[in-house]
Amino acid sequence: MQHLDEGTIHSWLDGALDSEEAARVAVHVGECPECAAAVAEARGFIAASSRILTALDNAPRGVIPTAAVPKKRIDPFVWRVAATVMVVAAGTLVVFQNRGSDETSNSIADSALQIPALSVDEGAAAATAPATTTLPATPPAANARVGVGSEAAPKKNDGRLPALALSKQSKVEDNSRDDNAPEGRARTVEAGGTAGQRAAVTSGYTGAAAPTAPEVTQSLAASAVAMDLARETERLKVVGTPRRIGAKVTLYEVAGGDTVTLTEPTMTSLDHVVTTGANVAAKAARPERAIAPQSVTAGRAATAAAPESQPGAVLSSPRVSAPTPAPPAPVSQVEVANGVTTISWTDATTRTVLKLSGRMPAARLQQIKILIERERAAAAKKNP
Amino acid sequence: MTDVERLFRTYNAALVRYLTRRLGDRDWAEEVAQETFVRALRQTSIENERAWLFAVATNLVRDEARKDMRRRKHLALLAEQERDEMVEPEETTIERAQEAAMARKAIDALAERDRLALLMREEGLDYNEIAEALQLSPGSVGTTLSRARRRLVESYEALQKSREEREKNAAS
Repeated sequence: MQHLDEGTIHSWLDGALDSEEAARVAVHVGECPECAAAVAEARGFIAASSRILTALDNAPRGVIPTAAVPKKRIDPFVWRVAATVMVVAAGTLVVFQNRGSDETSNSIADSALQIPALSVDEGAAAATAPATTTLPATPPAANARVGVGSEAAPKKNDGRLPALALSKQSKVEDNSRDDNAPEGRARTVEAGGTAGQRAAVTSGYTGAAAPTAPEVTQSLAASAVAMDLARETERLKVVGTPRRIGAKVTLYEVAGGDTVTLTEPTMTSLDHVVTTGANVAAKAARPERAIAPQSVTAGRAATAAAPESQPGAVLSSPRVSAPTPAPPAPVSQVEVANGVTTISWTDATTRTVLKLSGRMPAARLQQIKILIERERAAAAKKNP
Repeated sequence: MTDVERLFRTYNAALVRYLTRRLGDRDWAEEVAQETFVRALRQTSIENERAWLFAVATNLVRDEARKDMRRRKHLALLAEQERDEMVEPEETTIERAQEAAMARKAIDALAERDRLALLMREEGLDYNEIAEALQLSPGSVGTTLSRARRRLVESYEALQKSREEREKNAAS
């Protein structure tokens, strides 16, 4: 008998051969050391490939698929809705900008940029934050997901809905807050974040202009050195939030395909009750709430900014909340273990020790850290 | 229990897992799986259910066919029920998330037919079912699977190796 080919060996190991042929193969494998070795190798491949495929089962919900899968078509209706919402959002912004400048110009007279404080911008800017965080590389793909999954959008709540749609929602909410809660505006002004918020709103969901928001706000609160370092890192994409009790873990993908991990300790109190069936009912009853910026992604990007006062936030609000934005804090400690570098620092807002780790030099981690800080600071100012 | 409910309960978990591995997105996988069962409803008879379901799901991913809203809602409810009954997977660690990212890259590196055959085999489809779903000759399934497994493992190991090199560089 000739040596067995690889296909036959796999067929035999998979039990796909008829009994006669299987018996022949078994006899040959018993006599031929070369084929026995090939069988052993095939067993290894079968076991290893099974193990590798099992790792894919941790796929999170609402992830933009990789390039290897076909593109999804976009329902033209979604484009029409998006365009309508954009026009309404832009119009609303202009109206509130004008009103806001009358009301609040005195209180920010000493601001470098003299941009009117618009409490209406708070929520809207926050709404852009999750979108710009997840979308920077592939806005068309993200739109495609919206197109196909639009029916299930309230359920998914994954932060990939167009920022524009979210901004409209936010404006409605914030409009009422504007009338009823003047302290909201005062807080915004104190935070000095209006310039950044405005930039974030006007940048839409393209993602490209997103860094301008934190840049402007940072210029009011942080050092120029930190910005210069961070500007070199353009992309920061959340690729996963592995669960861990007592800590919030966020996995970012940075330029070059490397990943870094941000670990934040959290209070493990029972502040959320998740009831699957009720979720669906609640979201169905309040679809606008469900697509509000309290998405999972928003939580990842802006952990320091839980909108606790908003009822919709109960469904998925981040576990860490903070009243004021956090300027970048100096790195206090650097550790290297098993090739993984970890930098840790104390968050100025939450007084918790945050850790950022990845397989890269500490200097690079610091750049990424600044980028994360910028996102968090921007988000915090938009969501005090 | 209606026929579609029986089909759903029998095959949904495997189909969703197959599609999740294929697409990398569980929500999308569930959508496609539901659409597959909607298609099954329209059939008067299906000879080989599993092969049929996997073939239709595979084609749906390719074609992005339109969906039947009313029936999908019903199936979404069934999916909710099933999700409640499912045992949560063990806690995800950072290391596992990184392994998943490498596994995703490795599986995406395979040729489409190899990838689908391998994913179907992992869900327990036999060679005849795989051949039927992918319109292959049964005799070529062994060769397809052996190539797919070898390439998957080799590209995964290559990714591991390059990660280890990056670690070394980072440490030095």
